[in-house]
Amino acid sequence: MTYKKELLEIKNLHAGVEGKEIIKGLNLTINEGEVHAIMGPNGAGKSTLSHILTGKPGYVVSSGEILFHGKNLLDLKTEERALEGLFLMMQYPVEIEGVPMMTFLKYAMNAKRKYQGLEELDMSEFMKTVRKQASKLNISSEMLKRAINVGFSGGEKKRMETLQMALLNPDLAILDEADSGLDIDALKTVFLGINALLDGKKSLLIITHHDDLFEYVKPDFVHVFSDGKIIKSGDQTLAFTLEAKGYTDFINEAKC
Amino acid sequence: MLKFSDHIQFQDSSVPSLFSFQQKGREVCAHLTDLKTEAFKYTPIESVLTENYFKVSKNAHDHTHCDCEKKFLPFEAHEIHFCDGALHHHLHYIEGAECLSLEDAFADHETAPYLNKIDLDKFPLAALNTAYVQEGIFLRISKTPAKPIALIYNGKSAGFHNIRNFIILEKGVTAEIFELYQGNDEAYFINMVNEIFVAPDATLTHYLWQNDGKTAVHSSFNHVHVKENGHFNSFAFQTGSKLSRCETHVLLEQENATALVNGAYVIGSQTLADTTTDIEHLSAHTNSDQIVKGVMRDHAHGVFQGKILIKPGAVQTNGHQTHRALLLSDDAKVDVKPALEIYADDVKCSHGATSGALDEEQLFYLKSRGIAEDEAKKILTSAFLNEACEAISNQEIKAFFEKLSFQI
Repeated sequence: MTYKKELLEIKNLHAGVEGKEIIKGLNLTINEGEVHAIMGPNGAGKSTLSHILTGKPGYVVSSGEILFHGKNLLDLKTEERALEGLFLMMQYPVEIEGVPMMTFLKYAMNAKRKYQGLEELDMSEFMKTVRKQASKLNISSEMLKRAINVGFSGGEKKRMETLQMALLNPDLAILDEADSGLDIDALKTVFLGINALLDGKKSLLIITHHDDLFEYVKPDFVHVFSDGKIIKSGDQTLAFTLEAKGYTDFINEAKC
Repeated sequence: MLKFSDHIQFQDSSVPSLFSFQQKGREVCAHLTDLKTEAFKYTPIESVLTENYFKVSKNAHDHTHCDCEKKFLPFEAHEIHFCDGALHHHLHYIEGAECLSLEDAFADHETAPYLNKIDLDKFPLAALNTAYVQEGIFLRISKTPAKPIALIYNGKSAGFHNIRNFIILEKGVTAEIFELYQGNDEAYFINMVNEIFVAPDATLTHYLWQNDGKTAVHSSFNHVHVKENGHFNSFAFQTGSKLSRCETHVLLEQENATALVNGAYVIGSQTLADTTTDIEHLSAHTNSDQIVKGVMRDHAHGVFQGKILIKPGAVQTNGHQTHRALLLSDDAKVDVKPALEIYADDVKCSHGATSGALDEEQLFYLKSRGIAEDEAKKILTSAFLNEACEAISNQEIKAFFEKLSFQI
């Protein structure tokens, strides 16, 4: 049996926004190379989890522990978490007028290289790397010339997020409702793109409502999330049961 | 009498016509009691002007042993240098232009057609400039120059520095003027007036970087006349001095005259930067547009006063104005006073102002990609400022300001 290295360990996490607990005793371990999916109804606190993991301002952890690469994640700033290998594919990537996509990618890639003790990429090397990954995701050079996410469709935004994931090569990528707002073609491009990045070492935490995307990225584990914690875990078949029963019935049965 | 009048050293010009020009200024100044007019409501220039600003420094700048002749700008330009209000005697030859010192121009009566265009009773700092002016240049451009003409003002010793320039563009000429203000920590007050005349079909693009020393008080006033099909485009960037005011007054005197008056400022600590514009549409089919963006840190205070005046008969005109402020500290503040005065029908005018902090979502997005907070803030701040630089057509100068907006 091969020894799996723990990448992310969430232990009895209680967290939320000021005055309101949203995550109520969450336990989850993700090992290197594993694909986990968290499924649950709206308002269960799934996105709150992604915000807490990336250190978004406004969230408070009241108790529990999160280890990433064995380090206390909650001690790290948002940017340090990213440099340590955590990536969040956002549900609603923000538009930033006035900052060209390429400039932004260069800052992000060089920040990572600097952290790894590597030299900054020279311009031609950088352009080559970006273009190569961009073409795999059907991202035109015209799109790369635009300001960050400005004027992009939902599908374009998610392809751009995937490009960033490809270039920053994280150890753990959290896909927060990455399938929302995508038509079938865009869903396929994005998730086949993500699937192509899986190298046996990289882990995924997929947060979703539906099992549509499992056609392209197969989860090793599926967790059902309700009222701030995981109520049931299993393999991919759990997703199908869930889809067949609907969240309400499934959760009610689980409570019995 | 102004409270600081006693401290000012007068020097009567030996050129009779310049002396009588000074006299006109002195007559107006004699009636001035203070600078606390409505136009200076938010900018208490008088209260910061202590007598230190009017003392002649013991270590007065020695023009003969000066490094001010070196090249300052990273792009090709004809550079003309001033130190402490005095023109360096060596004036470069500029093909297609006549460039005289103020005294020579007055002695040769070159200035005669351009005198008395500013209502000194309305502009007390221009009255002071007129009363105390010693130096300046008279620049008449008759052929489009090959490169920008740069005027560089170095503040090296304490004192009251008054410079008056006359810049005349003849018919059909296109020219770029770049003004750089810079200095050390001495208490100097630079009080600058440019009188600019844009002939029919001519285009003047005027750039300004106010990077005066942190104790300096700065006032620059551009008074611009634009004739038929003439264009005045400007971009003023303020980053220095303790208190500064960049005032632009444009008179669109004939049909199809246009003015684009843009600017930006980035200030911190206790500084105040004031951008005041007054665009007068005096004729039909005239157009003006303004966008000014300000970034304030610490206890800094930004002021924007923008007025658009449409005179009777100036029909089918467009006048637009926008001011946006980015407040990076809870202690920073901005005062905005837009004014539209419209006395003609069939015109399109607008003004808009916003102020706010950095967008937390944007900041989080950049940080979530591994970009450090300070750098992320710089990226967003310079992106905010870049909108004001967008219209700059000279790519080298545009890149210069964009780089600057990232560094500051």
